[in-house]
Amino acid sequence: MDHVSPPKPMSEDLTAPFWEGANQGRLLIQRCQQCGRYIHLPRPVCSNCLSFDLSFEQVSGRATLYSYTITYRAFHPYYVDKVPYVLASVDLIEQPKLRFLTRLVDIAEADLKIGMDLVVDFQELEPGFAVPLFKSNHSHPAAGAS
Amino acid sequence: MKQRRVAIVGVGYSQVGRNTGLSERHHAAQAAVAALDDAGLKPTDIDGASTWGGDAIDFAHMLGMQPLRWHLNVGISPAFIQPAMHAAMAVADGHADTVMSFRIMMQQPSSAQLSSGKAELGQPSMSDASFMMPYGDFSPTQWAGMLMTRYMHESDATEDHFADFAVAQREYAMKNENALQRSPLSKDDYLSAPFISKPVRLLDCDYPCDSGSAVIFTTEERARDLKKPAVFVETSALAATSDMNFELLPDMAHTAVFQCADNLWASTDITPADVDCAQLYDGFSVITFQWLEALKLCEAGQAGPFVAAGNTRLGGAMPTNTDGGACNVGRRHGANFCIEAVHQLRGESGERQVSDAEVAVWANGFGPFAGAMLLSTR
Repeated sequence: MDHVSPPKPMSEDLTAPFWEGANQGRLLIQRCQQCGRYIHLPRPVCSNCLSFDLSFEQVSGRATLYSYTITYRAFHPYYVDKVPYVLASVDLIEQPKLRFLTRLVDIAEADLKIGMDLVVDFQELEPGFAVPLFKSNHSHPAAGAS
Repeated sequence: MKQRRVAIVGVGYSQVGRNTGLSERHHAAQAAVAALDDAGLKPTDIDGASTWGGDAIDFAHMLGMQPLRWHLNVGISPAFIQPAMHAAMAVADGHADTVMSFRIMMQQPSSAQLSSGKAELGQPSMSDASFMMPYGDFSPTQWAGMLMTRYMHESDATEDHFADFAVAQREYAMKNENALQRSPLSKDDYLSAPFISKPVRLLDCDYPCDSGSAVIFTTEERARDLKKPAVFVETSALAATSDMNFELLPDMAHTAVFQCADNLWASTDITPADVDCAQLYDGFSVITFQWLEALKLCEAGQAGPFVAAGNTRLGGAMPTNTDGGACNVGRRHGANFCIEAVHQLRGESGERQVSDAEVAVWANGFGPFAGAMLLSTR
């Protein structure tokens, strides 16, 4: 099969720092420098205090599983040989409901549990393009479903 | 400004079907002509137009609805409720006397076309796709999968209840000669249908097609003179509680439909106990389940058992989606629920008629946004 590139982010001021961080193996989330609120997805203004003084800071990479779906149909050529895969909405632990969309890897379907502890796992989909996926965090077993 | 009471007097569809080969204008024209005929109105009686899909000014000009006193093109919104509500408001306010409201929906490329690279989804206009597509997130079916997982986690609904729902909807469709899917369906048929994005199965999804739908709103005074019984807009409500990223909703088990339902009941003396039939958006079946709870047509968390007990069937406590729903009549994006509510309240629903139906609620949207409208003949 011909090489098919994975879908990539658009390069924009608000998105570039996140993806540059991913390529360095660092999970960077936008944070308000006035009130300390983490903001995801990146926005030009803080919805909590309306400050425009925002920058990206590294977070722990730990999260809990909020919800997920197991996708069986490919909606892009790159995913034809990758279905089924687990798309997930997770809560980064730095702040309540700091919701982050990702894909889960290396977890059997029977082991998927809402509330389970996860940790970031950077995977290079092609040279120079890494994405922060998440896997089970065995060193921090889930305290219970949220 | 004195508010005028508003009525629906005409409804119509285009030639709805899979990849019809007809243009958006063609669907708009067919639906408009059908709605005008239904109402006994002529194009020059129309002085307002609203649409999601295509362009209201273009459609009105094409159809000889000139001049317009009011027009609106709706963008991303909770389906047909948005152009419909604004049409009703325009008439109530006196910005127009008789408004035609459209939803023109063209069938999207299939998973097979997309995965073979022969077609692409419409490009997003804002940058949030940069945080979705790199993870393999492309389709509303995937968002529905996440919402359904979380809903099932927090409520009593099971996959068996969703099978009951699919069967109940098909039973209505078998009584609707305009439904696209009319063959008998069993719970096993539902449970053996392929997963698209688990837990969402093929039969949890609305049925892709080209469709045109149109509805005419006018004043009570004019409605009394027209050929069909008037169906009045009792009230309507909208709610938006997040941005458009369904994947990141703060509460996937209680989306904006709950706030919308509260807004609706707060705006009227009619209560959930007065509702004779419910027409609740089913782009994915989990949406109807949340609306049943949100509108207080069943107990909190109990939509699954409520459906399984037969309450949404004809003769049940709350006949729901009585045209068969968009999973059977095809994706008309909620306009089918407005039109079915009108047919029920006029007593035109034939074999699937709810006896003595006087009050109907129809609802659109899910997730970050929602809208609902209450219709009555009282």
